[in-house]
Amino acid sequence: MAPPSSATAHKPRKRKRHVRSYSMQLPSKPFPLASFLHPFRTSSMKRLVLPTVLISAFIFRWAVTYGPYSGEHAPPMFGDFEAQRHWMEITIHLPISKWYWYDLQWWGLDYPPLTAYHSWLCGKIGSIVDKSWFALDASRGYESYNQRVFMRATVAVSDYLIYIPSIVIFTKWYSRTTGTDKYDRYIALATLLASPGLIIIDYGHFQYNSVMLGFAILAFASFLADRLLWGSLLFVMALSFKQMGLYYAPAVFAYLLGLCVSFGNGGRGAGDDEEGSSNGGIKINIGGLLKVDVQTLALLGITVVSTFGIMVAPFAVFHGEEHSAVEQLGQMVHRVFPFARGLWEDKVANFWCATNIVFKYREKLSTAALQKISLGLTVLAILPFCLLLFLRPKKRLLPWGVAGCAWGFFLFSFQVHEKSVLLPMVAMTLVVAGGLDRDLLSWIGMWPLLRREGLGLQYTVLTALWSWLLSLHELPASIFAKALHLGVYAGAITLHIAELTVKGGVVERFPDIWVVGNVILCFGAFSCMYLWVLYRMAEEAGLLDDFVIQQPSEEGEKQRLKKVE
Amino acid sequence: MDSEHPTFNQCLVLATALKLLLIPAYRSTDFEVHRNWLAITHSLHPSKWYLEDTSEWTLDYPPFFAVFEWVLSQFAQFFDTGMLEVKNLNYGSVETVYFQRLSVIVSELVLVLSLRRFINIQSTPQAKKVANIISLSLLLSPAFLIIDHIHFQYNGMMFGILIFSLTDALNDNLLRSGILFAILLCFKHIYLYIAPAYFAYLLRRYCLGENIWDIQFANCIKLGVSIVSIFGVAFGYFAAIGQIPQLLSRLFPFSRGLCHAYWAPNAWALYAFMDRVLIHAAPRLNLNIDTASLGSATRGLVGDTSFAVLPNIPPRVTFLLTLVVQLVCLVKLFLQPSPMRFIGAVTLCGFASFMFGWHVHEKAILLPLVPFSLLALQDRRYLGAFRPLAVAGHISLFPLVFKAAEFPIKSAYTILWIMVFFMSFDTVVPVAKSQRVFLFDRFEIVYMTVGVPLILYTELFHYAIFGSRLEFLPLMFTSAYCALGILGSFLGFFTLYLTS
Repeated sequence: MAPPSSATAHKPRKRKRHVRSYSMQLPSKPFPLASFLHPFRTSSMKRLVLPTVLISAFIFRWAVTYGPYSGEHAPPMFGDFEAQRHWMEITIHLPISKWYWYDLQWWGLDYPPLTAYHSWLCGKIGSIVDKSWFALDASRGYESYNQRVFMRATVAVSDYLIYIPSIVIFTKWYSRTTGTDKYDRYIALATLLASPGLIIIDYGHFQYNSVMLGFAILAFASFLADRLLWGSLLFVMALSFKQMGLYYAPAVFAYLLGLCVSFGNGGRGAGDDEEGSSNGGIKINIGGLLKVDVQTLALLGITVVSTFGIMVAPFAVFHGEEHSAVEQLGQMVHRVFPFARGLWEDKVANFWCATNIVFKYREKLSTAALQKISLGLTVLAILPFCLLLFLRPKKRLLPWGVAGCAWGFFLFSFQVHEKSVLLPMVAMTLVVAGGLDRDLLSWIGMWPLLRREGLGLQYTVLTALWSWLLSLHELPASIFAKALHLGVYAGAITLHIAELTVKGGVVERFPDIWVVGNVILCFGAFSCMYLWVLYRMAEEAGLLDDFVIQQPSEEGEKQRLKKVE
Repeated sequence: MDSEHPTFNQCLVLATALKLLLIPAYRSTDFEVHRNWLAITHSLHPSKWYLEDTSEWTLDYPPFFAVFEWVLSQFAQFFDTGMLEVKNLNYGSVETVYFQRLSVIVSELVLVLSLRRFINIQSTPQAKKVANIISLSLLLSPAFLIIDHIHFQYNGMMFGILIFSLTDALNDNLLRSGILFAILLCFKHIYLYIAPAYFAYLLRRYCLGENIWDIQFANCIKLGVSIVSIFGVAFGYFAAIGQIPQLLSRLFPFSRGLCHAYWAPNAWALYAFMDRVLIHAAPRLNLNIDTASLGSATRGLVGDTSFAVLPNIPPRVTFLLTLVVQLVCLVKLFLQPSPMRFIGAVTLCGFASFMFGWHVHEKAILLPLVPFSLLALQDRRYLGAFRPLAVAGHISLFPLVFKAAEFPIKSAYTILWIMVFFMSFDTVVPVAKSQRVFLFDRFEIVYMTVGVPLILYTELFHYAIFGSRLEFLPLMFTSAYCALGILGSFLGFFTLYLTS
């Protein structure tokens, strides 16, 4: 892989605002997750840390698979499991020209091409074991013990081939960028692995989100390692696996553009110490103010376009007799982006569903108008992050920007699915690799209510375990954040208990009451997370330095140290 | 010394989380066995407990365990009364599964407490550190995970009582140690295998003084009265209603074969393996083959095992062999009694009965494994003898949980345990006082390297190559492989015990 040249060139930051290392504080009272990695600090045990963390993560992941998958024994339509199985069935039996057309009523393919290729591979391998799992048409709703194990295994293998390596590599590069201690880096890795959301959705509910997220995170890691072209290639692969990756796209675009464009003497320059990509090449200088690195920009453009091209080319080339190449691509886009649907399908904890309780949008506004408003609001929400990344494309800001951008999309955009909350959550968790402090742990620890049908046990155990591992009962320092966290937890626990115990009366009149309560609570929490990401990113970017100049930073540092101890 | 990280409790929380996630995993017929016992003890009068035979899984544990099931059933009725009906064979509602699984997790607290006590009685900080690692290795042992939390049994609680008893012996609290062991026997009679060690040690250290002829009458009476009253409480009622013969016939079903369907990895497994090999070599060696018994060792379920080439083994041979080995270590224990040697003798009694016993079940490997764990960190030589047992003992449990969905968990967990604990053992174990006995470590390395491809073959490739044909082959390989490791461990430890 990449040589560690940029790491040696990197200078540690002079000022640190938060206590970022737990390594020196043992054996005071760290959170249990750090405690588990404690024995691995000695030289003889050091080489075991990575295998141990990965195998432990695997054990818990696989233990979740004993729960039911979505739509298990639930005819007529079954669920996400059947969708994925069905895609394996059609991709291995039908010519590529039929993939986006075949019997769309029964879980028609509506993900981008890489998902289809992935399904094809899984289907081929599965058919070697047992042909009946993926027999065309005959296998609809097919369920058997071995097939279930096989499908679960494809999730695990995809996860361990793509997502897990991606976070290992990412934590390595991000901790180098931020100068994080090696021991803390493994704590960060373990934190990322222990995060329950993705495990419940992928291993319990059944999906392959980890593939898309893995490609995206590999792309971020490549950006951190100054491999911009590899990064953009990987990012396009993420997008071609699942369109949801677009939540990250504006931030990535702004970051890359920011690297290619520099302003004459103000703001930041090519001499910025975190920059590695200004390696000569053709540059256009506009009026001495604006420098554009045309070469890099062009190469990036070529990479993106050609990767997309390669991804969709098979559909255009083997377009079949019934449809032209253009029709094929049009159908793909139409399937992947169903614009014709409404603003939302389900009760999602975003702006629209939460405010819809008071203001009935669908009664008062047309779909077209709503689409415009939602687009405007989304742009507004992601603008600060994109601007920051564009103006200060620093490596340490990248995960913050990406997380904020994903929150913006989740909260305000069109056609949001409940499970999309994984995107901002995972991106937000990535920042732990840049240093661990109480505030940060508390914020990333706030679990969204991702309980799925039938997975109550897995959800409860994993969430409780996660809260315990990160000691979420230790609240952040500021009073406001304390109150907020307590409120959210109290609300969440009350909701869950009430849902289990309260019957009749109010519930009969408003059967949706728990869902609505859930939406309101989560929307509140998510909005605060959005604002918090914005605040922390501004802080990291140094924008707030002017406001807190009176506070002697070294004193503050010491006080914080004392507090943590 | 509270700076040990992770702490015992933290490991407990993590392990419990995993065990909760395993609630919906595969469970063997033992689940139904215990459900049936819940039903029997809950709905029938004690006089019927050992007579009831609606289900083929009749009550065949001693009375204390039956009472334990009765206590559990008092809670079970709040979950689902369906499981408490004798006629509801193979009843497995969600509530039943949750209740039974949770009862295993909760009853395992006995093991947890006993391990904590084992740490607490250590006097020096160094000894505490060592005891801490041993305790963690037992708490997180794959054996308990596989047998109790997937396969389904209550070994955690049983071995908890045993460790309490052994800890008392270490602490020279011999009366309590003896009482606890008597209670344990009334829970599960498999511990009779290690009773000789208790008998010899208590006799020597508690009933006799420094001089063998200096009999401590007061102690004899105390111990005798306590043990008789414990057995009286357990069996008195059944003796009064004249059911002792019936009870004994349930506890000791003698009509079984030498080897179980899956050969437990002991000396007889190696013997049977050799027999199978000789069948193919026999024509060249001009040996007689008993054609009638060709299929017996591989097919027969709980029937009689007979060999094709090698002579058959009558029960008294197994009995005699076990007795000889046990006697040798008891004599040594009797002559030079010390708490550590006592635990060594317990281990060897377990070993001997496992290696040479009649119709041994693979789960019985816990019998030598658990007490040996307490000794493993004495010095490097002990650790060297322990490691093959730890590897083979755990692998030999794999066939208990044979479904595909559990393969990843059992193998990943065992590999993780071996990796982490072998490394931790290495960091704390003191150097041996004398030289190593023989090239034991070389054997160990070769042995462990062979293990990985073997597991892959038996669990994955065999079915890919042969499908469902030759089903006994992987089992035979596993058991022969494990038997070799356990035999090596046994011989190594036996030598150490006799020479130290």
